[in-house]
Amino acid sequence: MNALFRPAPLALTIAAALTAGCANTPSSAQNTQPATRDNVVEHYADLAHATYEDALITARALDEATDRLIENPTEANLAAAKEAWLASRVPYQQSEVFRFGNTIVDDWEGQLNAWPLDEGLIDYVEPAEYQYELGNAGATANIIASDSITVGGENLDVSELSPQLLADLNEVGGSEANVATGYHAVEFLLWGQDLHGFEPGAGERPVTDYARGADCTNGNCDRRAQYLDAVTDLLVSDLEWMVAQWEEGNGDNYRAKLVSANPDAGIQKMLFGMGSLSLGELAGERMKVALEANSYEDEHDCFSDNTHNSHYYNGKGIQNVYTGTYRRVDGSLVTGPSLSDLVEKSNPELDARLNAQLDDSMEALEAMRAKAQSSQNPMAFDVMIRPGNAKGERIINNTIMALVEQTGSIEQAARELGIQALAPDDAGHSF
Amino acid sequence: MKPFSRLLCISAALLALNASAAAETPAQQARQQWHQEILTGYEHLAEQAGAFADAAGSWCSSPSEQGRTTTEKAWREAFMAWQAVRFVNFGPIETDNRSWQFQFWPDPKNLIARKARYLLSSDEPATAGTIDDSGVAVQGFPMAEYLLFDQPFNQGERALPAGRSCDLLVLVAGHIRDTADQQLRDWQAFRAPYLANDQYHDTTIKAGMTALEVLEERRLAQPMGLRGNGKRSVYAADAWRSGTSLATLEATVRGLKQHFLPGLTLLLENGNQPELAPRIRSQFDEVLENFPDMDKPMAPLLAEDGHYSELQGLFVDVSQLTTLVNDQAAVALGVVRGFNSSDGD
Repeated sequence: MNALFRPAPLALTIAAALTAGCANTPSSAQNTQPATRDNVVEHYADLAHATYEDALITARALDEATDRLIENPTEANLAAAKEAWLASRVPYQQSEVFRFGNTIVDDWEGQLNAWPLDEGLIDYVEPAEYQYELGNAGATANIIASDSITVGGENLDVSELSPQLLADLNEVGGSEANVATGYHAVEFLLWGQDLHGFEPGAGERPVTDYARGADCTNGNCDRRAQYLDAVTDLLVSDLEWMVAQWEEGNGDNYRAKLVSANPDAGIQKMLFGMGSLSLGELAGERMKVALEANSYEDEHDCFSDNTHNSHYYNGKGIQNVYTGTYRRVDGSLVTGPSLSDLVEKSNPELDARLNAQLDDSMEALEAMRAKAQSSQNPMAFDVMIRPGNAKGERIINNTIMALVEQTGSIEQAARELGIQALAPDDAGHSF
Repeated sequence: MKPFSRLLCISAALLALNASAAAETPAQQARQQWHQEILTGYEHLAEQAGAFADAAGSWCSSPSEQGRTTTEKAWREAFMAWQAVRFVNFGPIETDNRSWQFQFWPDPKNLIARKARYLLSSDEPATAGTIDDSGVAVQGFPMAEYLLFDQPFNQGERALPAGRSCDLLVLVAGHIRDTADQQLRDWQAFRAPYLANDQYHDTTIKAGMTALEVLEERRLAQPMGLRGNGKRSVYAADAWRSGTSLATLEATVRGLKQHFLPGLTLLLENGNQPELAPRIRSQFDEVLENFPDMDKPMAPLLAEDGHYSELQGLFVDVSQLTTLVNDQAAVALGVVRGFNSSDGD
């Protein structure tokens, strides 16, 4: 959704925040290698590579878990597949900061993380609770229940549910809501529609949706299993492709082009990615719209109610890029020359402030996560946005304001480093 | 020299001195001008919103065919008054997301219809309090547009002026009127901080730039299928239910010309590229020359290639205007684009 969003004049917010930032030690201060623009961009590529590699590792685990579910549809295997999906989101959401600014990622990510989706394209839905995108001819196509579907006058053979077919069906009929692939398609196939609205509770797809023979619920269990198998295979191969793009010494890949170009172009991409995710996407599209319109249709992980974690790890990704650090899924820490080091050299006060603001926004995101996962009275994101829920509204607004403030300092950091235009005026070109 | 004339002389000198001490920079003059021009825009909005609320109230208390026509016309005039000041994205309009309260857009998931169905079918009839608590999709011009113009809705049993639908329309119109009144008062009170704070200089220029970018990219290119997946879709446009998508565009351009351009011109004329000012003004006129011919519903223009070329002509004119202001004028005035709402998906 592309609603107009401008929470506060950024410059003014910065002025108000000037005194609020206290000095925090940048987490990359222990690096021995002095930071230069070149090695900061190189390390950025290392971070991206590590993050996508973790996304791939956890996607493979998800693929295996769903294979087990398909093979043996038990409650335990469904629960394990859901756990694997939740774990796969941790690195992937941290990778989103690489999306804005790097056209190669932005052009690719629609097949992995597009939302909101019109899930009636994929499988059965409860009509009374299903609101699809206006004018979307594929919104109720139900691929799983059909051997062929007609979208916008075009007849498509969907009898064989292969990864390639699903990739071709993504955005079928020209609608961005026709998401046939990616994390949210898998999420829907595991959880099902969330029919609880603003009340507590996520989707409750019965495991018997994958049962064989007479135990099968809601029909077409074999095709549903085929779909889940194909869509998880596709996720793995898509991530393999992206990992290769960021790999060192892998021919003329994206990384090679990025690190051999003028480092200012790389620095610009880093800052643009941080600021765009922070303000327009995370604070705006993913929180403000859902909150102000009280719209659970605009909740990010609406089937699983995992939105709080998706937001949290988006925020983490922004902090990762600035500090040049990334905690891998195996617990090891990636560190190296960072933007923070560069800013510190020319304006230590700004660097301290931005680091403090990044900590503040992580604290606000952590508060959202803690509330959603609390053992007593948990409040998921879709309950926080319920009309009249003052407490939920406060939690979300605190997070939005923290993101807005840090974006102001990201702009300042860009100016400090001599990056004039933050607009990716090279959009559509590799550089 | 006689004492009297000497005194006069001194005071004249003092006056001159005062005048030079108070001599305003072009930047200060521009902000004064902007504040004043935008004020007239908000005055007009408050006036038209009041007229719309009155029209809806009298129609619903004594329904007639004439009443519907009057109410629809009043809705349109108030909505266009909003379009003229829609570019202002700073100051009091940010309080409680007033901008979205006036117009929640775009609405790809048709939240407006869903919320209307919910309010009209709930056990308790809506009150002013309900509207205040129901979120931005309920509170503004698009909800009123849905009630007045949505075709399936107006063919159903709840069609206006049916009792509860009419009550809802009156409540929504009342909310719009109250918000417009409050916005006008707050803008008047905003004068001193606006003039005192230099940061509003860039903020105001960027507001105009953002509005032009949104106009070109989101309000035209998107529905025309020139972006993203290349699919034409009227639902991506403003106000498709009332067929006023292009009329809103005209109103926004007129609004920018009236409320934004004078301040911008003043700055350009005092800067190092004064020749840009007349070029921008004439490009505004180029865009506006497409109207009133282009004041028609967008759906048929998207449906037929013959008519689509009219949209293309308008698009080219708008793009040229955007380039002149957002690239050339911005550079001439040293305004650097920062992050904004459009950076997301």
